[in-house]
Amino acid sequence: MRGDAVRGHLDALLLAVLEAGPLHGYAIITAVQERSGGALELRTGTVYPALNRLERVGLLSGSWQSAGGRRRRCYALTDAGRRTLAGERTAWREFTSAIGAVLEPGPA
Amino acid sequence: MIIDEHVAALSAALQGPARTKARMLTEVRAGLADATDDLAATGLPADDAARRAVRDFGAVADVAPDFQRELTIAQARRTALAVALSAPVLLLCWQVAGSGGGVLPHTARLVGAAAAVAALLGAGGLAATGAWARRLPVPSALPRTVAWAGTVSGAALGVSAVALTVASALAGNWPLAAAIAALTLVSHAKVAASARACRHCARLA
Repeated sequence: MRGDAVRGHLDALLLAVLEAGPLHGYAIITAVQERSGGALELRTGTVYPALNRLERVGLLSGSWQSAGGRRRRCYALTDAGRRTLAGERTAWREFTSAIGAVLEPGPA
Repeated sequence: MIIDEHVAALSAALQGPARTKARMLTEVRAGLADATDDLAATGLPADDAARRAVRDFGAVADVAPDFQRELTIAQARRTALAVALSAPVLLLCWQVAGSGGGVLPHTARLVGAAAAVAALLGAGGLAATGAWARRLPVPSALPRTVAWAGTVSGAALGVSAVALTVASALAGNWPLAAAIAALTLVSHAKVAASARACRHCARLA
């Protein structure tokens, strides 16, 4: 699945992989790819502005960490981020069950 | 090196507050270096790994608009804050020096109203690009509106600097004239420069 299909769900994907704990940018990208079994290919250049935006609106908090001569920005979910993630999950379940009911009607 | 070239090309395509831009590019550079290391660990030659990391990142023309949108909002937030903070300065100066007779009280009311409107727009701009933006998308006209508020606010500060300094000097109060001149001119320079940067960014995104 290429970037365009993923784009509308990018925020939810980024919040979801941060649920288990803080990660830096590249680790967030690989976490999304691994959890989707490699099916979701993120254009990595779109992830960094998205993280910046999520931090600006208070869904993530960011802090700098240095390791091996590289400064990386590390992101953690805020309480508002957790609430938004829960809302995104509910919306996604409702959406998939509605579309599924149309695409795959059960026995009459 | 291909990563440095790509980051430099992205940097050349972006306009915005220097510190925010440098922060973004530092993060991008580390991410590309991490990706290169990861790919090299799978056995890819270093040059190919870097090329692949850059390809996965996306062409500058494709990803720059997302970065520019964030930078433009960052600039708009700075200008909005400068505008919101300049209003009390302006009102205080008019309160202190503009209470005399003649044409000053009328001008004071006018400038006060302009400062209040600009300050409200500034505060609204900060809110609309902060926590409110979780639910509502940032209006595309917001950076331009903030830039406009900044321009008005900067002009009001400039006019006030001249009017109040002259009024205080005519009244023989030189220390007050000097203090007001310094305070309003510093505020004017800060707000006007920020508004100019905001207009520039607003044209890009």
